[in-house]
Amino acid sequence: MENKKEEKAMLKEAKPVSKETKAEEKPMPKEGKAEHKAKKIVIPGDLIAEGRKKLGQHVFIEDGKIFSDTLGISYPNSETAYVVPLSGIYMPQRDDLIVGIVERETVKGYMVNINSIYSCYLSADKCRDRLEKGSIVSAKIDSVNEMNEADLFDVRVFYGGTIIRVVPAKVPRMIGKNGSMLAVLKEGTGCSILVGRNGWVWTKGGDSKKLAEAIDLIESEAHLNNLTVKVEAFLKGKKVNE
Amino acid sequence: MAKKDEKIEYVKNGKRLDGRKVDEIRPLKMEVGVLPNADGSAYLEWGQNKVLVGVHGPKEALPKHKQNPYKGLVRFTYRMASFSVPDRKNPRPGRRESEISKVSGEALEKAIFLERFPNCAIDIYVEIFDSNAGSRAAGITAASLALADAGIPMKDLVAAVGVGKAGGEIILDLNKNEEDAPDAVDIPIAIMPRTEEITLLQMDGLLTKPEWSKAVKLGIQGCKQVYEVQKEALRKKFAEAEKGK
Repeated sequence: MENKKEEKAMLKEAKPVSKETKAEEKPMPKEGKAEHKAKKIVIPGDLIAEGRKKLGQHVFIEDGKIFSDTLGISYPNSETAYVVPLSGIYMPQRDDLIVGIVERETVKGYMVNINSIYSCYLSADKCRDRLEKGSIVSAKIDSVNEMNEADLFDVRVFYGGTIIRVVPAKVPRMIGKNGSMLAVLKEGTGCSILVGRNGWVWTKGGDSKKLAEAIDLIESEAHLNNLTVKVEAFLKGKKVNE
Repeated sequence: MAKKDEKIEYVKNGKRLDGRKVDEIRPLKMEVGVLPNADGSAYLEWGQNKVLVGVHGPKEALPKHKQNPYKGLVRFTYRMASFSVPDRKNPRPGRRESEISKVSGEALEKAIFLERFPNCAIDIYVEIFDSNAGSRAAGITAASLALADAGIPMKDLVAAVGVGKAGGEIILDLNKNEEDAPDAVDIPIAIMPRTEEITLLQMDGLLTKPEWSKAVKLGIQGCKQVYEVQKEALRKKFAEAEKGK
């Protein structure tokens, strides 16, 4: 009972706060949240925060201060100290959805290139169809060891289609908040799209040329605000830069 | 050219032969992300020096016996184009290139979080297209930019500069004329500017103790000048896209 009361009290407290934040966010477009967060471009060795903070990715501590370890964007007002990198190789992480290409066949399975440091071994027991060199698969990452080698599960095979490469650091912008960017891309080009976290995007059908151009746009302006709106305008045939 | 016994004044009224002050570096220009097929790249012009750097990796270190399960490997390749000096340079890598590759790689190694990449290698290719003294400093400076461009985690950038003595004066960023002075001393120095940790320090020639401390002080100050240009070059990558919108 007490717990429930506490919960209710917390809810009551929480409500007005959420209203306020909503009011703040209202005039801003879909991806505008980043706007009221001050952005800062950081380079390796730049100071992120002096005091104690939760630690996110791409930061390190020296003498009690938090520094960036990469070229990217930091949000000085956020609770967590983290940097969104501008570039970098894909490092597999658990539960990532990735797109891979079968590199070669071994006795009991396949080696799958996942655009990372190492290729993954995929047991033949885990896939129903016989794969060939060059087959495109999507899979989730089961586990990663200390050498950044990954194990795959939930393998799906794709027939046909092409792969577009993007910089892995910019994949979150390709998907957008709750898949908003992806929905815009699918609607605007009519392509079937699967975005792998490793920077490989599988597409089939639709206006693939337009899609490639839209992806180029996302890549070159990944660090700017209101990208979904811009891409939407681009796909509708308006000029973006004016 | 001066005659053999004629004495050249390398510093006259506080100015050098090419009009620079004693603590002034040559004009410096850097650009990031110039090679589409490399993971990270940088182009640098420093006075007459022209350097192009490409970074590949981290990738699996091969041959396998070179792998280290505790940390990654930095493979630095310094190469001078045969047309980079007034007389043709034999393109075969020689003693000098191997040595510079080794010390430059070690200078950059200190800044990289190599323990995050066990059994891996990071390849850095430094190509000198035009050289006029201080090319290893130029190579290190450009390589650290290319590493940052490749998104490789680093403690800090590495900035390098040459410092030395010509005509009895301690001067910053020697050019070829000054390096050929009869009493010339050349000290390439590379630091991580945030902590002022020295990652490369070499010297040929003779210096007195006070001269030495003055030179190192001047070198660190020079590296910080270089660091400012490096920061600007990296930030410019963002700024260009922002302008385009």
